[in-house]
Amino acid sequence: MQWIASGFLFVRGNTPYHRLDPRVRLAVSLCIFTVSLLSQSILFLSALIVLTISIVAVAKIIKRFARSMIFTAAISLIAFVLNFYYSPGSPHQAVVFGVRLFAVISSTSLFFLTTTPDELEQVMKWFRLPPDFIMIFVVAVRFVPVLMLDALQIMDAQRARGLEFDKGSFVKRLRNTIPVLVPLIAVALNRSLDLAEAMDSRAYGAVRNPTSLYKLSFQKRDYVVSLILGVGFAIGIYVTFFVPLI
Amino acid sequence: MISKDMFTVNPEGFSNPVVEFERVDFSHSNGTIALRDINFQIYPSELVAILGTNGAGKSTLVRHINGLLKPTHGKVRVFGEDTSSTTAATLSKRVGIVFQNPNNQLFAQTVSKEIEFALKNFGFGDDLVRERVRWALDSFSLSQYSERSPMELSGGEKKRLCIALVLAWNPDILILDEPTVGQDSEQKENLSLIIRQFLDQKKNVILVTHDVEFIWPLQPRTMLMSGGSIIVDGSSQEVLGNPRVSQSARITVPQLVDFSIRSGWQMPFPVSTEEANARIHGT
Repeated sequence: MQWIASGFLFVRGNTPYHRLDPRVRLAVSLCIFTVSLLSQSILFLSALIVLTISIVAVAKIIKRFARSMIFTAAISLIAFVLNFYYSPGSPHQAVVFGVRLFAVISSTSLFFLTTTPDELEQVMKWFRLPPDFIMIFVVAVRFVPVLMLDALQIMDAQRARGLEFDKGSFVKRLRNTIPVLVPLIAVALNRSLDLAEAMDSRAYGAVRNPTSLYKLSFQKRDYVVSLILGVGFAIGIYVTFFVPLI
Repeated sequence: MISKDMFTVNPEGFSNPVVEFERVDFSHSNGTIALRDINFQIYPSELVAILGTNGAGKSTLVRHINGLLKPTHGKVRVFGEDTSSTTAATLSKRVGIVFQNPNNQLFAQTVSKEIEFALKNFGFGDDLVRERVRWALDSFSLSQYSERSPMELSGGEKKRLCIALVLAWNPDILILDEPTVGQDSEQKENLSLIIRQFLDQKKNVILVTHDVEFIWPLQPRTMLMSGGSIIVDGSSQEVLGNPRVSQSARITVPQLVDFSIRSGWQMPFPVSTEEANARIHGT
């Protein structure tokens, strides 16, 4: 469990991919995401997954990516099985659905695993989203790994009181999650109240549109990657609609 | 106040260690080494205090004793049983641990039900559950809150409840992780009394703390940790009574030790103000 949770913790990297402007990284993920949604070809979707994994390798986050993809693989498998048995389409369609789901989620993970909450904030500011909305979103992203670690500590505390999570019927196991969920929600609410007070006491909201210390700026490498990405995206759309693949 | 008859005598023999760490290393899943080559034994009725700076590995070490963590290398034996071959839920019946953050444990609708939870998990009968809940509420001045939500309690009361709910099942080893945080002097005295009574029953208490003033009168065996290793293991007089040793783990010496050194006294240093007074007046 801790092994999986650590996959959600952000680690600041210093690879060529991390050094790209976060807007370019967002564009890379969005392009893979869009083409994955449109494509009906198992071969092409698989190629997109390979492309994502290649970028993951360049960014040196293979282990963390694998951890966060464990659930995605399980969900994709469930989606495939459900479509295979219950959807009116062909078995081919069920495979496309499962592979597409994996491709879409992995492209999203690629962005979030390589982008710090600070960079995320800057990208959202660039899109001119409301400051309060940006703050809520960034705080939520920051809290995901913190809540995962809280959950692990709470599980430890309840195991130390004789609670066994992996024993008993399905209903009993479901009921055993209550001693974890209640403190987890209480801790999250307390933490959000503490954070709100801390932010108030540091004058959050005193200025309607606060300025940023760091501003995003495109470098030469960002223009080069954007150009390659634009060409790649056009080829992807062309292949999706005009090249018949399995 | 606590009555001694609430504790049953530990049936264990006295010669074998109750806890044994043999060349224990532990690394977290991200590769961080948290414990390095830990070796020690704890014998019945021993009081042990584990001190060290934040991140020294104190909490990681005690989590090995009730099987929440398993060593990466080496062996941890509790009452002769290898913790790697048993579950935390099984070991917890004999090893009670009170965690640092009470908010991570409390979930029940009422304080009474919070205390009942572990007792029912361990299969106690209804009559015994009622008896132990009543004892825990009375002993920790929580009776007036018995039907209130644990979430409504103050930080200090929550901490007291967490200690009460572990003592309710009367474990053989009690581990207290920072037990004095948020406690007033009366509750600290009460806790000190509980620890002494626990030891009288040939049971063990392991304290993880920064509060040297709290542990000095108890005179525990003291371990200093730094960087995942035990750097010193000795009596309180040897460890806390020696400023050079204490400062190596960035621990402040107790005020009575500081006073004794300034007064030019020789070891053993007084463990209470009464003893210090007696020495000053030569009685």
